[in-house]
Formats: sequence, structure tokens, C-alpha cells
Amino acid sequence: MSDRLPAALTRRRASLPLLAVALCLPPFYLDAFWLRIGLFSMAAAIGAVGLALLSGTAGQLSLGHAFFLAVGAYGYAWLAGEPGPGLPPALAALLAVLLAGAAGGLFSPVAARVKGVYLGIATLALVFLGHHVLLTADSVTGGFNGRSVPPLTLGGFAFARSDPEPTVLGVPFGAEERLWYLGLALFAFTWFTARGLLRSRPGRALAALRDSETAASVMGVDVARHRSAAFVVSSMYAGLAGVLLALAFRRVVPDYFSLALSVDYLAMIVIGGLGSVAGATAGAVFVTALPLLMTRYADQLPLVTAPGSAEGAVGPTEAARYLYGAAIVLVLLYAPDGLHGLARRARDRVRRRRSRAPAPDAVVPPPSQPTAARTKEHTP
Amino acid sequence: MNTTHRTRRTRRRTAKAVLAGALALLLAATGCSSKADDGDKGGEAADGVRTGPGVGADTIRLGALTDLTGPYATLGKSIVQAQQMWAEETNAKGGICDRTVEIVVKDHGYDVQKAVTAYADIAPDVVALPQVIGSPVVAALLDDIERDKVLTFPQAWAASLLGRDAVQVLGTTYDVDMIAAVEFLTRTKGLKKGDTIGHVHFEGDYGANALEGSTWAARKAGLKVTGQKIKATDTDLSAQVSALRKEGVKAVLISAGPAQTASLVGVAASRGLKVPVVSSAPGFAPQLMKTPAAPALAAMLSIVSAAPAVSSDLPGVKDMVASYRKKYPDSPVDSGVLSGYNAAQLMGADLKKACEAGGLTREDVVKAHRAQTNADTGLGTPQNFSDVDRPASVETYVLKPDAEAVGGVVNAEDAHAAPGVEEYLSAR
Repeated sequence: MSDRLPAALTRRRASLPLLAVALCLPPFYLDAFWLRIGLFSMAAAIGAVGLALLSGTAGQLSLGHAFFLAVGAYGYAWLAGEPGPGLPPALAALLAVLLAGAAGGLFSPVAARVKGVYLGIATLALVFLGHHVLLTADSVTGGFNGRSVPPLTLGGFAFARSDPEPTVLGVPFGAEERLWYLGLALFAFTWFTARGLLRSRPGRALAALRDSETAASVMGVDVARHRSAAFVVSSMYAGLAGVLLALAFRRVVPDYFSLALSVDYLAMIVIGGLGSVAGATAGAVFVTALPLLMTRYADQLPLVTAPGSAEGAVGPTEAARYLYGAAIVLVLLYAPDGLHGLARRARDRVRRRRSRAPAPDAVVPPPSQPTAARTKEHTP
Repeated sequence: MNTTHRTRRTRRRTAKAVLAGALALLLAATGCSSKADDGDKGGEAADGVRTGPGVGADTIRLGALTDLTGPYATLGKSIVQAQQMWAEETNAKGGICDRTVEIVVKDHGYDVQKAVTAYADIAPDVVALPQVIGSPVVAALLDDIERDKVLTFPQAWAASLLGRDAVQVLGTTYDVDMIAAVEFLTRTKGLKKGDTIGHVHFEGDYGANALEGSTWAARKAGLKVTGQKIKATDTDLSAQVSALRKEGVKAVLISAGPAQTASLVGVAASRGLKVPVVSSAPGFAPQLMKTPAAPALAAMLSIVSAAPAVSSDLPGVKDMVASYRKKYPDSPVDSGVLSGYNAAQLMGADLKKACEAGGLTREDVVKAHRAQTNADTGLGTPQNFSDVDRPASVETYVLKPDAEAVGGVVNAEDAHAAPGVEEYLSAR
């Protein structure tokens, strides 16, 4: 009996509803700071899944992800806001995603013909172009100061703070609490559609394309069409992430959508493990939440002083940066196939040990070792 | 076969048990969530003062969203230290409203996402923000600040930040500074109708707002302005100097950072473009006077600023500089120290006034702030906060670099309002 619950936890079918329930809990306990981190992580996860499809599965490198995020975020803010057409927000959100897809489609003639690093350089241009347009097209983007994002409303229910604040089980539900569930829903949608896509014919065709272009085309895969389709789908996920980000930020500014953001997304899929949805999610949470949390709690560490207090000491932000850098090095060193690979190896080991000796203590996760059996490694 | 059947059934039963257990846990646990019984914090303290977020029975908490690790780290450090010093001095004198003042400092490193999260972190526990550094950060937080009614003094001076009840730009805006700069050039440097002025400016609202002012003033004076837009990452201005030289400019305005000012003046001097250069206040830092460009800066540069030089002999400034040097002997005394201390003092005055009116809620503090029509801290010119659409002050100083002086600058001209500023403000 004692090993029943932990055993169930490692099983997919049982862990899914449990995970879903666990993810519904935070708004009841955590304050706005934590919920915002969660929202940023969920938005990043949606975007990272899109990039994982493109880079991990189709083997295409894109540095233009920040551009498509910006199209989604600004597209929503403009379509739903004033000045702008002032459409119903839900429709605007849908159109913003389609707009990001259309932007990807416009670029897809390039994406279909250029591959690997060359596509990376070509997409680099998008980020700079996008940033310039965001700064100069004042009437649409609001210029340097950006524009405020109208809250999303679905059938009379607004994902924003309202007076008086409604309470659920005694907990006041403000903007962050409500957006959390919207984020969860969008993330679940992304999770299932992306997994479905990866396991379907097009997903396998893309993987074949990544491994060998010649072999794939001999098998009857239309190289150019699949490449551009992957690019469009990836930019639509980025657009969706952009909409959620805009709702979480409540105001979009051009400086956020810089090259550094694109690089962050690449870091997410590499740290998480190329080519898997779960990996992209884990990487997104790692890259988004870790620096924020470390900055917040670094002042609890020894030798770290309060910001701006003394001379020459290490402040919380510096300490957080060192720690974050060290964490990345550790992950890449001990989990070269990413967090996803690490989790899979740990699970395999648990399963193997249990089948050998089904003792209650068998479920203690063993320390991960770099020598563990490693499955196929992707070459980027 | 029998065994597999049993395992599958057990598994299904486990899944159901897990789900039911988790649901029960959710219902039971939310009952004791700390968020649930955390009702309205506002109320009345024992001494009859209305309190709100950030104000306890014996503390007042202020917030600072600053940059201690990014591009404005030097400025951020100066402001943080100056404001901490103010808090200590104030507490030594018995605090405000019988409460001690505490400043919660959060470093965002010029990262919008970090800043927005840090705001969510501190917003429920502070009554006002005497310091927010970084134009993109301020821009991203504008709506939240307005909604939460947190009185905020951004360390940015663009006119686009005016018109918001809870956000107060201290001193003059960039456009007003540049009108004064053009007036200074025509008055003292002999520029006349038909001459051309070059204006090197950052992209973004700092440069755009400054250019707006210089263009307006130049048109009034019959001058022509030729703009050169640069990025914050451009630190070699050779190309811009060549272009300005080709245009035959008689003077140059610069609204950029210290590195750009040093490059512009240094390159211009070495290429024989010996014309007066006038910079906006953020374009100078005392560290520049230790670079090889120092002689050229001393010969050619003037700075237009709403705050006096740190070396000025205003008694308030002198006292402040003396105690700052005593407390932080290793830190440079720059304009950030002065503006940070000034902001903290103005905030203190607002809090005192709000306390006298019987309330320290955020609304009370904003109301008290907007009622100040002649706020004088003795650190420069008095300011008027009653009109949200107007800069708090229109008087500017002209400063000259001087390697010997504290803070690297001395006052060249005392505070005065440039003629034409009123006309500009009413026309806008």
C-alpha cells in the first residue's frame, strides 16, 4: 500500500489528472509575484514549444522568434484597442495568432529554401526590422513607450481586475488569478496540439527531413513545403505566446522584443532538450522563472548584501546571474540531452530497479550520472 | 493474463483515488490559504491616521526599482545611496508621522520582465516609489502605476510621461532643456538667423522629445536644425561628426549618454570642428573628466540641467554633499546623488503633508503631492506639482565641466526660464 501512491505518480495516466489539479491550485495560495512568474513561464512555454517544432524537429534554426512574439503581442493590442479597430478581444486574440502565422507565411519562401545556420542569420534580420518598426510606427505601436493592452473578455467575463473583486473559496480573484487559468488553458491546448502534430505524419516527415534531407525526399516528403509549413506553425505558436505575454504585462514595449529574447528562446529548447514538447516546457520554466526567483531570493544567501548597501559586495542580481550561469553549465554538462532527457533517464532507472526488486524504497530517485544510457542525441 | 487484468484495474482505481484525494485536498486546503483571510489591509491606525498598503503602525515603506547591474548601474547606485542616506537622516530626526521610513530596493538590471515582476513583488507593500530607473521600465509600468495610484518619481524626463496623476517628472522635461540650450547658444555664442545647428540624439522618447524642443526653438530663432539619430550602442560618433561638418554647423546639441558626448566632443576637437556643444543633463558624468577627452570637454561643452552643479554653493547642496562624502567616501558625487536626494526629500514633504491631512493611503499621498505648488527642498529651483500636464519646473541652469570641481561641473549660469518656454508649453 505504501508504494502505491509514488508508483502511481510515475505512471502517465494517473499523473496527468494529478498534475492538472496541482496546476489549478497556485492562484489560491500564491500572491501576484508568483503568479506573474507562472504566467511568464506559461507564455514562454507556448513560444518555446513552437520553436521546438521548428528547431528541434525540423532542424531549422530561427533567431526571429522575438519578432513573431511581438507580432502576436502588438497584433492583439492593436486589434482590440484604441487606436485600432477595437474588435472584441477574443476575436482580436485569434486574429493576432493568425497574423503571426501570416507573417511567418510571408517569410516562408525564405524559410523553405534556406536551412540551418543560414536561416538563423536570415531571421536575425526580422528582429532588427521588427524593433525598428515598433519604434517608428507610432500610430500602431505607440512608439518607444508602447501601448496598453486591453484585457481579454470572454462572454462577459474579463481577465482583469474588477471592482468589487469576486472571491472564490474566500480568495479574491484579481487579474493574475484569472489569467492563470487562461494561461493554463492555452498551454494545455498547445501541449496537446503540438504532441499530436509531432506524432502525426507531418511530424515524422519533419523529423526525417532533419535527419537526412535526401532520404526524406526519396521517401516522398516535399522538402520546401514541409519546411515552410513548420515555419508558419512555429510562428503561430509564437503569436499565441505573444498574446498571453501581452495580457500578463498589461503594456507592451518595443525594448522587450529584442534579440536577447530570441536567444532566450533558443536557450530554452536547448536546455529542455531538442525535439520534445515536455523538454521545451521544462526549458521555458527554467530560463524564465529561475533568474526571476534567484534575483528575488538571492539576498538570503550568505555573502550577498542588500542592493546598493555596501561597497564592493556582491548584490542579489549579480549573485543570481552567477548562479543562473552555473545552473546552465551544470545542465549542459550532466544532461547533454536536456532536462527532458534527464527526466527520462531517471524514470527508466526507477522502472528498472523496481522490476528487479519491488521494494518500497525503490522509488527514491537515484542521482543522475552522465554515464547513464543515453538515447539518440540530436545534432543541431 | 489474469495478472495484467488485475494490474490494469488497480491502476485505474489508483488514478481515481489520486484524483479524488487531490480534489479533497484542494477544497480542504483552500480553507486555510493565507490569501483567503487576508482581507482589506486599509484602515485606521491607533493614532487616527488612515493607512493603506505600505504603511504600518510604525513604518512607512517606499519602493525603488533601480538598475545596479545594467547600463545605468553608476547612476542607480548614486541614487540608491543618496535616498538611503535621506531615510537614515529622516529616521534620526524621528521619522515621518511618528513612523520610520524604510526603502525597499529592487534591482532590475534594465530588464523589463524583471522590473515588472519586481513591481508585482513590492507593490502590495509600498506606499510610493521615489525612484524608477529606465525609460522602457517606466513605460511598461505606467498603466499599473496609474491603476494602483502609487506616487512615482521616474528618473526619466520625457514629456510623454506628463499628464498622469500618479507619475511625477521632477524638474524640467527634455524639450524645455533644449529650448533653453538653443536660447543659450543664440544669446552667448553669437549664433544668428540662417545658421545651422546639429542635434545628435538617441532614438526613443529621450531623443525624440529633445529634438522636438530644439526644432521648435530653432524655428523661432530662424535657425535650422539638422538631426543625427544614434543608438544607445553607438559609441563612436566619427561618422556623425563628419556629417555635421559637411553641413557646416555652427553649434551642436547632444541628447545621448556620457560615452556619446565624450566621443562627439573628442572627435570634433581632433578634426577641427571647434563649435560650442550643449548637452542634455543625462549626457554628462563626472567620470568623463578623467578621460583623454577632458580638455576638449572643458573647452567646448556646456550642460543644460534642471538641477544645479553638485559643486554649487547653495547651502542645501553643500550640506548634502558634505554628508554624502562622509558616509560614502569612495563613491563619486554625481548628479544622480543630487536628483536622488532631491526626489527623496520631495517624497518626504508629500508624506508629511498627507499625514497632516490625516491619511497615508496612496490616494492621500497623491492628493498631497498635487497640492504642492511651491515645493522647495533647497537643492535647486522650487517646483509646482499642481498641473499634471505641465513640467514641474521650467527653470534651467547652465553648467560647465571642470575637472577640479566636485562632480566635475560648476555652475555657469544660474537658474532662469528661457524666453519662449511659456509660449511653447501653451502651444503644445
